[in-house]
Amino acid sequence: MPFQAPADGVLLPPYRILDLTGPEGVYCGKLLADYGADVVKIEPPGGDAARQRPPFIGDQPGPERSSYFLFYNTNKKSVTLDLESPQGQDLFKKMTATADVVIESFSVGYMKSLGLDFDSLKTANPGLVMASITPFGQTGPWKDYKSSDLISLAASGFMQITGDPDGPPMRQGNEQSHFPGAQHAAAAIMAALFYRDMQDGGGQHIDVSMQEAMITYYTDAHPALAWMQRGENVTRVGPHSTLVIPLGVYPSSDGWISAGIITPREWENLSQWMYEVTGNEEILNDDYKGGNQDRAPYNDFITALVIDFTTRFTSEELFHQGQERNLVFIPVNSVSDLLSDPQLEASNFWFEMDHTEAGTLKYPLGVFDSEEFSPVTRPAPHLGQDNEAIFGGELSLSESELASLRSQGAI
Amino acid sequence: MADAKKPLSGIRILELGPYVALPMTGRILASMGAEVIKVETNKVLDEMNFIPAWSRGGGQPEFQRAKKRVTIDVRTAGGLEVFKELVKVSDVFMTNFRRNILDRWGIDFPELRRVRPDIILMWQTGLGGIGPYYTYKSYGILVQHMGGVSLMSGEEGEPPATINSSYSDYHTGVFQPVAIMGALMRRRLTGQPATMESSIFKSGAVTAGPAVLDYQSTGRMPPRIGNRDPFAAPHGVYRCQGDDRWCAIAVKTDDQWLAFCQAVGSPDWCSEDAFASLESRLANQDRLDELVGQWTADKTAEEVMVRLQEAGVPASLVSQGKDLYEGEHLKSRDFFRTTPFYLADRARPAWEWEGGEGIASATPPKMSESPLDFGHYSNVGGDNDYVFKEILGMSQKEMDRLTENQSLF
Repeated sequence: MPFQAPADGVLLPPYRILDLTGPEGVYCGKLLADYGADVVKIEPPGGDAARQRPPFIGDQPGPERSSYFLFYNTNKKSVTLDLESPQGQDLFKKMTATADVVIESFSVGYMKSLGLDFDSLKTANPGLVMASITPFGQTGPWKDYKSSDLISLAASGFMQITGDPDGPPMRQGNEQSHFPGAQHAAAAIMAALFYRDMQDGGGQHIDVSMQEAMITYYTDAHPALAWMQRGENVTRVGPHSTLVIPLGVYPSSDGWISAGIITPREWENLSQWMYEVTGNEEILNDDYKGGNQDRAPYNDFITALVIDFTTRFTSEELFHQGQERNLVFIPVNSVSDLLSDPQLEASNFWFEMDHTEAGTLKYPLGVFDSEEFSPVTRPAPHLGQDNEAIFGGELSLSESELASLRSQGAI
Repeated sequence: MADAKKPLSGIRILELGPYVALPMTGRILASMGAEVIKVETNKVLDEMNFIPAWSRGGGQPEFQRAKKRVTIDVRTAGGLEVFKELVKVSDVFMTNFRRNILDRWGIDFPELRRVRPDIILMWQTGLGGIGPYYTYKSYGILVQHMGGVSLMSGEEGEPPATINSSYSDYHTGVFQPVAIMGALMRRRLTGQPATMESSIFKSGAVTAGPAVLDYQSTGRMPPRIGNRDPFAAPHGVYRCQGDDRWCAIAVKTDDQWLAFCQAVGSPDWCSEDAFASLESRLANQDRLDELVGQWTADKTAEEVMVRLQEAGVPASLVSQGKDLYEGEHLKSRDFFRTTPFYLADRARPAWEWEGGEGIASATPPKMSESPLDFGHYSNVGGDNDYVFKEILGMSQKEMDRLTENQSLF
């Protein structure tokens, strides 16, 4: 496809991206669509399974009302197409002939079984970029292993370091395993398009392993390195770090507050403040001064004093007053805190979008801010809303051909 | 250069700032072929060198490899001048210092744009570049708790199940390359530069997910359900043989339930009505978890995983460092690779640090035509000669002078 300039006020060129992904990759297409790519979600004729996923807007079920679907498909178009029927495959091939990118997250080998793998598709479109996002990647002994959010969190080791040391490994909420692979895929897709359009390169296939992507999301803990160098298995520490003292989540008078003392100077400031508030001189002891790891032998004692201190303030008080002393206290926010946060309000983070069934809601689209461009603000598509425009318009199918495909259940 | 063309060949990126997110962005862009010049100073070392979980500096190849590393103290007049010379020959400048600090140093954005009018600026902040918190100091490992996900983790009434890491830093770190590549394309196509501001706060909060829509619609807060799931049962981690060994199991469909029952040897409880449908399994999951736990207790986590996976049931051991480092799967994908590193020491300049050998993870996407580089790991200031002499054309004499007066130190 010609290398086309982005629209005014938009970041990305209008790359045509065909999005076949399930939950493992749905965020990848969203990210690119929110910043200007022309992402077409390809759904089976009955609709993406995510459309049936509760909770629904107003607790009224319906294929256009799933909060999950609405959240993860902003700015995408939708066509319906049965990939398992010959007519559907034919249509998909026609679409890929003029597309820039295909993103898929099927089990390894599924696309090949349909004759729709990268090697088959690239003959008609040598510039095609295809990204496959799968739990364990396209190769290796685990490539066919079944997965889920929990399984990915476990396999990557993320769970091993989440939760309390005396309890089981814990799941991070909100299906966090679905983000790292999707974000790495988005970066690799951009690199592949850059290679093709800025360097005169060809198309290519991108293999993203969610397990590997997850592992790169906690390299500051780096369990593999700790094992290799020290024979030590990095594990859960609970709410308070055992490496950096103090660092973690502490109770405040009205919720939770996180705090971390990273530099020697910060410890000076905090211990002075704690002394002023509690009157306990012990905290000024020279033994506790120095780099953040120098306090490790006194962890339990210092943590108890920190809690005695934090519970005397609200989270907001610690957040703002801490800054006056060059100290970092950060509130542990709920979803409702986010929606009323003055910083997010001031920085083009929330965008109101009106969806005919879901109504007007605020969506978080502003992952970064720029004076030159903004996110695109179209709500998630209705099922098959772009069938006419894409099959009839772009692929020039006649009304009767469309009707026949419909009656055969291919679209 | 004999190297094959890379996605970002010919793009030069200037990076100024420590910690996780920004260096991660630079490392990813460097692995894509950009020439990333990392500006540091021996006078204030990145605290990431001193994380004690591994040998000092052992983790730094994750964040700094594949870059050209130079020492410039931008707070000195001589250093500032050299820094601006680098701005002149760079396509992108990215930093994570706060605006008031950049102003103090004389490298505010209008000044940088005056020096290089078409430069792409990526300014990464903790809490945001405009708005009431713009001067606030922050750390990524704490800001992750601002994004909403901490209060969706763990059990109701308990403290948030915190992760011993700073995942929202990585959201930012991996997202920023997308924005930077987009802005470079846009500059080529429209001739326009760009200034972008990202924050750890925002890149965490955008992943708060459907709960933000549900809250607006129903006023409901996302439930904290620990390791459970509204759409699967059994669903959790189960204790296995050994110290702190666990296997995660997620049975989503009725087919998987039948396969699970067979794999565990079709005990009587599997055919109870109480577990016949997903609905009933969800309703009776306390007992179900206990029964599954009894089955896993005398097996190794690996044994449980393999037995269930062979039957088509999603399962995985909860990987520990040993499993990740020694496991056949990641080995077959060449994921962890050996790399030199340098033992950081606050008391001595970097060129006196001893070397060691560690590992770092490959940048995950495997690209078939333009594979991502693992890259060479330079020490702090290790590329001073190349950058100052070859890129800026500085003489040895001038370099010596500026090193002695601490500008390039």
